[in-house]
Amino acid sequence: MSDLSVQSAPPVQTRTRSERWQRLKRNKLLYVMIIPGLIYFVVFKYIPMYGLIISFQNYKPHLGVTGSEWVGWMHFERLFHDPMFWTIFKNTLVLFLYNILFYFPVPIILALMLNELRKEWFKRTIQSIVYIPHFMSWVIVVSISFVMLTQDGGIINDLIAYFGFNKINFLMSTDWFRPVYILQVIWREAGWGTIIYLAAMAAIDPQQYEAARIDGANRFRQIWHVTLPAIRSVIIVLLILKIGDVLELGFEHVYLLLNAMNREVAEIFDTYVYTAGLRQGQFSYSTAVGFFKSFVGLILIMMANWLAKKFGEEGVY
Amino acid sequence: MGNKKKWFILLCVMALTLSVFAGCASNGNNSASNDGNTGNTGSDANAGGNEASNDPVQIEIMLPMKEKEVPSDRLELLIEEMTNTELTFQWVPDGNYEEKLNAAFATNSLPQVVYMKNQNTFTQYKEAMRDGQFWEIGPYLQEFEGLSKLKDSILENTKVDGKIYTLYLGRPLARQGIIYRKDWADNLGLKEPKNVDDVYEMLRAFTEDDPDGNNQNDTIGLADREDLVYGAFKTVTSWFNAPNNWGEKDGQLLPEFMFDEYFEAMDWMKQVHSNGYMNKEFPVTSKEDQRNLFYNGTAGMYVGSLQDVNVLYSETKKNFPDMELDVAAIIEGPNGDFGMWTIPGYGNLIMFPKSAIETEEELRDILGFFDKQMTAELANLMYWGIEGEHYEVVDGGAKEYLDKADLIAREVKGYKDSLIGEPETNGRYDGYHELEPRVKVEQLILEMDQHLILDPTASLDSATYAESGIRLQELINDATFRYILGDIDRDGFQQAVDNWRSQGGDKMIEEFNAAWQASK
Amino acid sequence: MVEDRSIASRLFDGFIYVVLILVALITLIPFIHVLAGSFTTTAELARRGFVLFPTEWSLTAYRYIFSTDTIFKGLANSMGITLFGTMFSMFITSLMAYGLSRRDLDGRRTIMFLVVFTMLFSGGLIPTFLVVKEVGLIDSYLALIVPFTINAFNLIILRNFFQNLPEGLEESAKIDGCNDFGIFFRIVLPLSMPAIATISLFYAVTYWNTYLPAILYLNDTNKWPVQIILRQIVIVATGLSFDDSGFEDAALPPSQSVKMAAIIVATVPILCVYPFLQKHFAKGALLGSIKG
Repeated sequence: MSDLSVQSAPPVQTRTRSERWQRLKRNKLLYVMIIPGLIYFVVFKYIPMYGLIISFQNYKPHLGVTGSEWVGWMHFERLFHDPMFWTIFKNTLVLFLYNILFYFPVPIILALMLNELRKEWFKRTIQSIVYIPHFMSWVIVVSISFVMLTQDGGIINDLIAYFGFNKINFLMSTDWFRPVYILQVIWREAGWGTIIYLAAMAAIDPQQYEAARIDGANRFRQIWHVTLPAIRSVIIVLLILKIGDVLELGFEHVYLLLNAMNREVAEIFDTYVYTAGLRQGQFSYSTAVGFFKSFVGLILIMMANWLAKKFGEEGVY
Repeated sequence: MGNKKKWFILLCVMALTLSVFAGCASNGNNSASNDGNTGNTGSDANAGGNEASNDPVQIEIMLPMKEKEVPSDRLELLIEEMTNTELTFQWVPDGNYEEKLNAAFATNSLPQVVYMKNQNTFTQYKEAMRDGQFWEIGPYLQEFEGLSKLKDSILENTKVDGKIYTLYLGRPLARQGIIYRKDWADNLGLKEPKNVDDVYEMLRAFTEDDPDGNNQNDTIGLADREDLVYGAFKTVTSWFNAPNNWGEKDGQLLPEFMFDEYFEAMDWMKQVHSNGYMNKEFPVTSKEDQRNLFYNGTAGMYVGSLQDVNVLYSETKKNFPDMELDVAAIIEGPNGDFGMWTIPGYGNLIMFPKSAIETEEELRDILGFFDKQMTAELANLMYWGIEGEHYEVVDGGAKEYLDKADLIAREVKGYKDSLIGEPETNGRYDGYHELEPRVKVEQLILEMDQHLILDPTASLDSATYAESGIRLQELINDATFRYILGDIDRDGFQQAVDNWRSQGGDKMIEEFNAAWQASK
Repeated sequence: MVEDRSIASRLFDGFIYVVLILVALITLIPFIHVLAGSFTTTAELARRGFVLFPTEWSLTAYRYIFSTDTIFKGLANSMGITLFGTMFSMFITSLMAYGLSRRDLDGRRTIMFLVVFTMLFSGGLIPTFLVVKEVGLIDSYLALIVPFTINAFNLIILRNFFQNLPEGLEESAKIDGCNDFGIFFRIVLPLSMPAIATISLFYAVTYWNTYLPAILYLNDTNKWPVQIILRQIVIVATGLSFDDSGFEDAALPPSQSVKMAAIIVATVPILCVYPFLQKHFAKGALLGSIKG
């Protein structure tokens, strides 16, 4: 069905003006539906965006946006010339790839498994359990991990030592930062991430499974031919949005994990901006870094969306 | 209840619709007019201070909240009565104070009285003070009997271009030292440590000589945490007589880490760490986990604020009823000297925005409220609470009721943290303590006051410091941790120092020295 | 339904059961640690570090938390904000999402792009604060709701769900004389209950977790949601505040068990929302019958 609409889209431009007017008139109620939301976006999202211009200023709160001195690209130059720039750029990208490779598929697999459960009570119970971690703040997650992972009496290292291996420096090494980070992300978010997919699966017509079974499809083939296609568009939308979040990895989480020993791999844009800009009241510099981040995200999201459309998907816009 | 809720929702919907539409209609003008809105337009109706003299003065105060919950208004009512004021406290959680402060400042929404958060916020706001956004209160202080008692030496540290813009909340200068398990020391026949070697020997013995006598190798000496300043490290550097942040060498101000003493302290810590006399992962240990190591009998020594002895005592006692603690602070370095680093004498500062206080009259009214904080009656109420309920007076000192710790935290602590001055100036009672090590702490604090290592840059300005001081300090902190953990050697540390210098440190040295010369 | 009873299928089931039970255990253990920790003494927590079953039971932490009305006020505020905010957001979001899901709507690509744009670019704290102030929301509960009416992510997801409804629906409804509002409320909404339940849950959780806006926009501490109280307890207890320059003795930091009890009290109400919504997930199955 989605293919149909994509094909019907291009002729839109070629239609005549009056046809267009007809359509606008016919859809006037749809515009009425959209208007409250549009107002919201304009007032609370677009009007404040004038704040972005301070990334080209030397903004002082007491002078305001109109009174502050213009400095052009200075803050961007400072960012690109910062000796840390390529390190944080690389670190951010690597963590992003970890997210895509190791985290992103997990909720899908979990949701597919949950969907295969036949005992309704069991399914509901498991569902209600796996989403609990989402409600633990990062402070709690990190402090619980610390208690378990520390070499100073943490159970995991005690176990490792008990079986005669060397204790592992999980918390203060460059090797373990990324695995620990991504495991925490998976632990906290995977169950929560299943919810969208489960909702998409709930909309699948049971008759489709019936039909597949009659065709002799086993369970794997049913998943492959019925369930996955049904949630494909959700997966793609989530993936595109995730790609736009490339430089947005959860400041609080990383900041809590960051220390002198792993900074080399753990410093990302958000943590860098925090110490280099925000804590010292450097609004312009922080905004400039944010601007750069958003810009990269925008490019990537546009590419991803374009690719999705190329493959006949709808994309997000 | 159900009915009430319905009404509430209905009201909300109406208000919402109105505000959304009103907001949209007027917004075009608003955002435009607000950009230029840097003057004194933030005149909320509540700013009327100078009405008939008997009307209570209305004062709105924004301040950081360091406790777990908002203080009850019990004391607030008494304070209002005593000072003829109507107070509105805007408590802001400490962790997000800067965000609120900055947002309110940039949008002209600050109330009449604004507390800063720490020295860092003070540095940030100096520019706005120079720009005339806040009242210069120096000239008014002498008009008030109480405020004129504030210590000049500390006000000196708060000056901006020689002018006083802030009131200060006094704090004891030096209070760092050692808290250790006396029962362990007694078991092993150890005396109170007097120098760095004694401390080292105690840490070694606590780790290796089975101080708890359970025949198991399950103890360590020191429990430390990720904080280089308020944890152990800075205090150790003081034992080795390193300067406090900055020091003078060959007639020039240089940062502490360019002094040999700093390296000696790092080497000492490195040895303690590599021998396993402290928690291996102290650079990632939180304060809570650090204390747990002490509470559960793993570690026998704590280096930090001596006033923590109360907490450490009561919590450790729960696990080890026979446990005893002792404190020590006068630790001599290798040359037989003793010194202790100190904060600049204030814990926080208070400023008065011109956008909320329009007239001198109003400012005087508000300063009048703070003037009364410098009288024993109000100071005691704010600091100790209500006599007979939160504390009693013993031997001319205030003794808090131990069994009411929760009540005190709820009703008094918030006001306690916001009182200006110190006992000598505002006349409040000193604390009366019964716990033996706590009594000793008071003596030690007095003794340390004779051996202070001051930060010569406390009242000096450096543009580079204001711009990237924190970021640069991070380079040094990282290197210090890595050196102590044995991850880098002296060359590696030197490399970090070189980075520090090239990324702005050299400019900082230059600027501080210029300011220093100018102030002489 | 015809059940597949082959050996392969049963092995498949067994595998899934084992994996999911393991996953559930792994996700549950830290929560049990927090729960157990809230019912034990600080001494035991300090001694054992990681507790799954307390040996010294204690209600001190809960007694402490409930000894004033702070947490009740916080919970009441949060519930009000969550309930009203979710309803309001769902109303505005679903209308917009439906409008944008209709493929014959001119300009929908542009609008969607503008929506996506706001996910990436934002004016920042201070300009947003100014707008909230100018709209007159400072110190009002609405400041925690109106500026967050639509979450772009939720809007996009919901639109995607609406888009995936069978295309013929609208046509047949129009022939029956429904206008667009009628189609939306009478046909699309009932058919989209799993999606509506999901997005409602997302909004509810966001509103429940609202924190920074409350600090920025509310001066009256009586209006604080429970998350501020929770975070404050956790931060103070964990000793995360940046400098110690202000601290004095006498006041004990809140104990670890108080911290854990606060987590439980502030989390359990929102945890109960999901099981309640779950029943709507089954409703999607109706779709087939209507279409047929």
